[in-house]
Amino acid sequence: MSTQTPVIELRHVDKHYGDLHVLRDINLSVHKGEVLVLIGPSGSGKSTLCRTINRLETIDSGEILIEGEPLPQEGKALAQMRAEIGMVFQSFNLFAHKTILQNVTLGPIEVLGMSKAEAEARAMELLRRVGVDAQAAKVPAQLSGGQQQRVAIARSLAMQPKAMLFDEPTSALDPEMINEVLEVMVELAREGMTMVVVTHEMNFARRVSNRVVFMADGQIVEEGTPTEFFDHPKTARAKDFLDSIRGH
Amino acid sequence: MSAHTTSMRDALYEAPGPRTRRLTAILTIVSLVLVCIGLALVVRQFYVTGQLDAKYWAFFAQWSTWAYLLEGFLGTLVVAVTAAGISLVLGVVLMLGRTSPIMPISVVSRVIIDFFRGVPSLLLIYFFFLGLPTIGLYLPPFWMITIPVSLAASGVLAEVFRAGVNAVPKGQTEAALSIGLTPGKTMFKIVLPQALRIVIPSLISQLVVVVKDTTVAYVVSYPDLMQNGRVLITTHDSVVSVYLVTAIIYILVNFAINQLSIAMARRSGNPIISRTTENPT
Repeated sequence: MSTQTPVIELRHVDKHYGDLHVLRDINLSVHKGEVLVLIGPSGSGKSTLCRTINRLETIDSGEILIEGEPLPQEGKALAQMRAEIGMVFQSFNLFAHKTILQNVTLGPIEVLGMSKAEAEARAMELLRRVGVDAQAAKVPAQLSGGQQQRVAIARSLAMQPKAMLFDEPTSALDPEMINEVLEVMVELAREGMTMVVVTHEMNFARRVSNRVVFMADGQIVEEGTPTEFFDHPKTARAKDFLDSIRGH
Repeated sequence: MSAHTTSMRDALYEAPGPRTRRLTAILTIVSLVLVCIGLALVVRQFYVTGQLDAKYWAFFAQWSTWAYLLEGFLGTLVVAVTAAGISLVLGVVLMLGRTSPIMPISVVSRVIIDFFRGVPSLLLIYFFFLGLPTIGLYLPPFWMITIPVSLAASGVLAEVFRAGVNAVPKGQTEAALSIGLTPGKTMFKIVLPQALRIVIPSLISQLVVVVKDTTVAYVVSYPDLMQNGRVLITTHDSVVSVYLVTAIIYILVNFAINQLSIAMARRSGNPIISRTTENPT
């Protein structure tokens, strides 16, 4: 695996918000088919890190490489790179004025230049896969949060991405809807999708991820396999965090 | 829209108790009586001063009077529709300029917006009517009224659009960019369509202002409803009756525009922004 070029690689990435040092010398690589989970207390920089990968956040210094190529800074090249990396947001961000079907076909039609008929056929297939094909003609506001997030995943998948970023995909959901979204993500992981997931869902991290990266105060404090991390955390910071979320 | 109004009333006033209900009933009757007395006084004053005499109203029985008013009404309509169209486009252009990252463009747009918002439309009309001819530019009366009215409205609309664009949640832009749309496509396919829906009520009230602004067309002798009304006044020596009828026509037009806005708001149907999308917890 290590001989292969990583799909996503960050080298010495730094970022400040004014005086706040939100990312400190981040080094990270994600290989093809890997599911990497980013966890850490709020304000640790994990969401920011996730958003730098498709340049929704800029960085001050360091390098981000996508399949060995530097992340484009602007223009068509940036748009094309973003099209190749899917992103799922905490607040779903479905296009509010478009139907569910249009949400999924917009990218393929506008960006990939696919015909409307083909885009719709593929979109219906994806919506079926995530179990919301019956809602295709509705607008996002008519769907539950769980359904909306599954549509958001289908919208990303429609672009046939090389990798997918999930920025706290279940944090805005009512508890009873979390599982339906996680199931879709588990399925994706099984199919070999390269994924970076910022989450508080420890069961998901344990079951599905290949690697857990623990962040605090803008730094990567610890990383390891889920078993290593959850059962034998090395640092005091990680132990404290795990204790606090386990409710001790 | 009506559901919205009800909920607004519910938010302002709590459900009344028995004492409040009795008080409301009494005040309703009292105010109704007062309104009737007021109306009676107006009619009486009209009667006493002879404004209800047949000579002031008889010419409304002639078709030619209505034909002339209709002609003016159509004139108003053409100016208003043209001005509305121009100001909508110009408003979007100015808004895009105002939000441009290129400093000179945004500064110039801002100056233009503030200028047209700040200058009374009558002054703009005088400029086109009296100012331009002094430098040898003669426009037909139609454009002498339509251009200034459009310019005045476009300044306001630019700000209305900007407020609308700012009201579209940031996540919409991020999602559009994340699937590979360029910033331009993101604006035109995702942000602007939603911004437009958000500002429909303000757009409509601005349209009413446009219709009212066209009334100064008489300055440039363009035959709109107001101008033709004035001609009728001199012909029949009847100020009150003609202005009354003209006012009612304007009220009806603007009432129709408002009804249109309500219909449009209904047509866009369900709230397009769900609560969950707006305020993630």
